[in-house]
Amino acid sequence: MSELLKTSLHEEHVKLGAKMVPFGGWDMPVQYTSVKDEVIAVRQKIGVFDVSHMGEFFLEGTDAEKFADYLVTNDILNAPHGKAIYSPLCRENGTVVDDLIVYKLRPGKVLICVNASNIEKDFNWMKAQHKGFDCTFVNKSNEYSLLALQGPESYAILKPMMKDLPEIEYYSVFETSFGSHTVIIARTGYTGEDGFEIFGSHAAIKEMWQKLMEKKVTPCGLAARDVLRLEVCYPLYGHELTDEVNPFDAGLGWTVKLTKTNFIGKASLETKKAKYKLVKLTLDKGIPRENYPVMDGQGNVVGSVTSGTMSVVTGKGIALARIEIDKAPKDEVFNIDIRQKAYPAQLTKKPFVTGGHK
Amino acid sequence: MSTNIPANLKYTKEHEWALVEGDTVTVGITDFAQSALGDIVFLEVPDVGSELKLGNTFGVVESIKSVSDLYAPVSGEVVAKNSDLEGSPEKINSDAYGSWLIKVKVKNTTELNNLLTAQQYQEFCNSSH
Repeated sequence: MSELLKTSLHEEHVKLGAKMVPFGGWDMPVQYTSVKDEVIAVRQKIGVFDVSHMGEFFLEGTDAEKFADYLVTNDILNAPHGKAIYSPLCRENGTVVDDLIVYKLRPGKVLICVNASNIEKDFNWMKAQHKGFDCTFVNKSNEYSLLALQGPESYAILKPMMKDLPEIEYYSVFETSFGSHTVIIARTGYTGEDGFEIFGSHAAIKEMWQKLMEKKVTPCGLAARDVLRLEVCYPLYGHELTDEVNPFDAGLGWTVKLTKTNFIGKASLETKKAKYKLVKLTLDKGIPRENYPVMDGQGNVVGSVTSGTMSVVTGKGIALARIEIDKAPKDEVFNIDIRQKAYPAQLTKKPFVTGGHK
Repeated sequence: MSTNIPANLKYTKEHEWALVEGDTVTVGITDFAQSALGDIVFLEVPDVGSELKLGNTFGVVESIKSVSDLYAPVSGEVVAKNSDLEGSPEKINSDAYGSWLIKVKVKNTTELNNLLTAQQYQEFCNSSH
């Protein structure tokens, strides 16, 4: 196995006594003190995550927005500048290469943030589509570090640290100064809470991390991040989204804008019907885990868990599960097979936890 | 990682502790194990009367993040289980050696010779990290 990559904050994590684990080729903090405490910090106050392992691609030039719009399924062209747009990135056959966020920084400048484990795959895929568009397309993942500051106190903590930080809307982005550094600040995140993601040079982010530690912001690891995103039912690539499914299969039909003139995968997605649906299941007893079989009331396997854990907020087992639509039970009775025992699971329509983002 | 390894207990390479009193063995998981697991949220151990076989899985301990099997340190019959832990398995995190899981009546006392001493367990923990 090749050497694990380290973020610019690696030393800081080790100093704080974080438990480090390999994740997508990186040596990342999975937890500092306790997953529970870290989740609660974000839901009730504030927490900070080092997510510098994620990838940053920059599109610059006349066709920057046009190129981004052609690459992804969601509508980039009609969104105003200063907006962030979540979208799947699909192949011609409609399957998902990755899910990502497109940041429309200003006319002729777009930032695309992608999953760490998919940086190379995404870049190669996008690069192959680049021909004919009048813009540069550069992978700057190695030049950027990224912090996710999440929780209801995020704005109050961040505001005095910045030269200028207006109350931008959720899913907006803003370029500003932090000390002598230029940083990109977006009101986005992966927890369902209000919060900001800050892209900057390694030096800028290290300085910001240290300031946040001085302000006693709780450092949070990947384990808390996974619980937080699952509590609010956000998909994770490699789990709810894979190379084998299309956006409809993962409940992301709302991100596929078939009214757009053209985008990769449009022809195929126009004729596609979902083969699967993603359901939310809650268990009073037992903790569902990835790949556990999901059964109907008669014991027939109808799908499997894509992500599962115990919710810190509700104290119950929670799961997202991929169900074959043809086999979905009409009576909505589900059981999850945990170590060869059927545990009753309740279908829920709303996310397990309601985040506080604006 | 600094760990707490009481000298009066015996241990396994699966990070379980065993308190041997005559032919009865009280079983739990070590401080090292609870720390590696993180927040423990679920515990499944066999009922009184169940038969355990040395080395076989006899239960499960789950943290928020992961599922870990429990392996029988000895063969024998379960004579007690710690019902205090059922509703609050997180007690294992705060006191691994005070939170016993089950008591086993040992079938073959020669199996006790396979258990590690505190010093052997300490060396095992050091060598595997």
